[in-house]
Amino acid sequence: MRTRQHKWSRPVFAYLAAALILVYLSYLLPQLLPGDFVTAMYAGADVSLNALQEAELKAYFLDNQTFGEYLGNLVRLDWGYSAAFFAPVSTLFFAALPWTIVLMGTAHILSSFLGFFLGVEAAWRRGSLVEKSGVGTMTVLEGIPEICTGALLLLVFSLHLGWFPAAGAQTAYAEQTTFQWVLDVLHHLTLPLITLVAAYFPGNFLLARAGMVMVLKKQFVLTAKAKGLPPGRVRYAHAARNALLPLVTRFGLRFAFMVTGALVVETIFSYPGLGTLLFNAISMRDLPLIQGIVLFASLMVLVVNLCMEWVYTLLDPRVSHAS
Amino acid sequence: MHLDAGPRIKKDPWFIIGSTLLVLVFFGAFIGPLLVPWDPHDTGFVPLSPPSAHHWLGINDGGMDILSELLWGLRNTVVFGLIAAIAGLILGGGIGLVSAWMGGWIDQFFMRLADIVLAIPAVMILILLAAFFRPPSAVLALTLAALTWPTTARGIRAQALTLKNSLHITAARRMGGSNRYVIFRHLMPELFPLYLINFAAKIRMAVFMEASLAFLGLFDPAQKSLGLMISYALKYYYLDIWANWLVPPILLLSLLIMGATFLTISLEKIFDPRLQESV
Repeated sequence: MRTRQHKWSRPVFAYLAAALILVYLSYLLPQLLPGDFVTAMYAGADVSLNALQEAELKAYFLDNQTFGEYLGNLVRLDWGYSAAFFAPVSTLFFAALPWTIVLMGTAHILSSFLGFFLGVEAAWRRGSLVEKSGVGTMTVLEGIPEICTGALLLLVFSLHLGWFPAAGAQTAYAEQTTFQWVLDVLHHLTLPLITLVAAYFPGNFLLARAGMVMVLKKQFVLTAKAKGLPPGRVRYAHAARNALLPLVTRFGLRFAFMVTGALVVETIFSYPGLGTLLFNAISMRDLPLIQGIVLFASLMVLVVNLCMEWVYTLLDPRVSHAS
Repeated sequence: MHLDAGPRIKKDPWFIIGSTLLVLVFFGAFIGPLLVPWDPHDTGFVPLSPPSAHHWLGINDGGMDILSELLWGLRNTVVFGLIAAIAGLILGGGIGLVSAWMGGWIDQFFMRLADIVLAIPAVMILILLAAFFRPPSAVLALTLAALTWPTTARGIRAQALTLKNSLHITAARRMGGSNRYVIFRHLMPELFPLYLINFAAKIRMAVFMEASLAFLGLFDPAQKSLGLMISYALKYYYLDIWANWLVPPILLLSLLIMGATFLTISLEKIFDPRLQESV
């Protein structure tokens, strides 16, 4: 029998190799993509450059480094200098990251827990009027894309009623106590958060319900009921545990694609997260910044996948026996 | 596996609503542009004028008729969805069937490839591609298909594997049926419901993706699109024009995605083999 240590570390090497390949691709990215910052910035400007000036500017913004240097700089958080924002990439990146994590993290956790809990309860009450109308509402909500919810919420609640701010994550230059600041951040967070929860929650609900309906037909649930266990215990300790796996998979996938998932909603509400940063970077052809965000987003997928493999073995003993 | 599905599906309200919605929206997308009298690129009207008898939805900021813009945009969105869904289905279905039937290293190769492709954020690739190369939208649709086939391939492979060892397939093989014969005459037709489910799900995903990319302004701005209309109309929120400019594309996009969603959910419910066994 193999040792437990060996089994846990086995996928790590495969993922490390994949991560190195990704970093190498990211290193190659500037040569693969056409268009450069100089052309993008000066094409529409009122100055015209002669050939020498253009070549010198291009040489200034182009950094020639070997892959080893690139890797070293990556580890030292020296990710290049954003020519469009006049700031180091890592500064911009770490200023935006917390907002994306706050927004996307809260949305995912909220919609996963709500979806799981309500889905399990709905499956338990299968066939009742409340359950049927709940499933109907969720199916309709599942059909409304986040662009539409976001645009409507923005239009109604912040532009016409003026209840919520239309842009940003906090009031700029406001002198506030910590408590006021938290309230202010929550105030800015509300609309994007509702949009995201409305986009993710119905899917989770339907998934949890479908899984739970199937589990409830199994023999062991009947046994648990026949033993005279309280309904809550049958539902959560015996049945729901077996319906959890697909939800965890979905949570992981959604979390892995956090940056791209935030793109539309962050743009609608001008929320200063990584999605907006990436959008701005692309529209200004700011390569170092694009490179940094794309690399982070791809590495994030790898890390989450690795974590998921471990979580599966924890949640479902069958997975570890199978491998 | 699906003998009684016909009558059952005709009774499912979600199927009826979903297919009605899709038929209506597709009708609007393909017939609508022929019926509107104005060219969507004609900028000769008075900008921002309200709805009138000639222009049912008014004129946008660029002096273009909103109704024609809407229907042409819908058409582009639907065409993008169809291309991505058909290409993704053919690619995913083909790979799924072949790897289930062949097994061995072919199966291993395609499934590892699927793992790798699934770990690539499709949105990121599309954004980079759209921003830096400005390809025609059909190319983007095909790229999307090339990045999303693994989900289809996995589902079809899993079902094909359970079919592979069933009695009638074994009989067909014992009687000397060739690979091609068994795949085309037995395996492929029997998985038919799976194609429908995957097709509806893929249309939903592709339309959503197209709307997002267009909203972010990553498509050719000259090409009409629902997402692009939403993003332009949002800039004029302070005028009373939102009722005839912003709401129609939002409504159409929602109806389109809703139709595909209802269809997917209803088909999954009827055809899911796991639900069938336990009834």
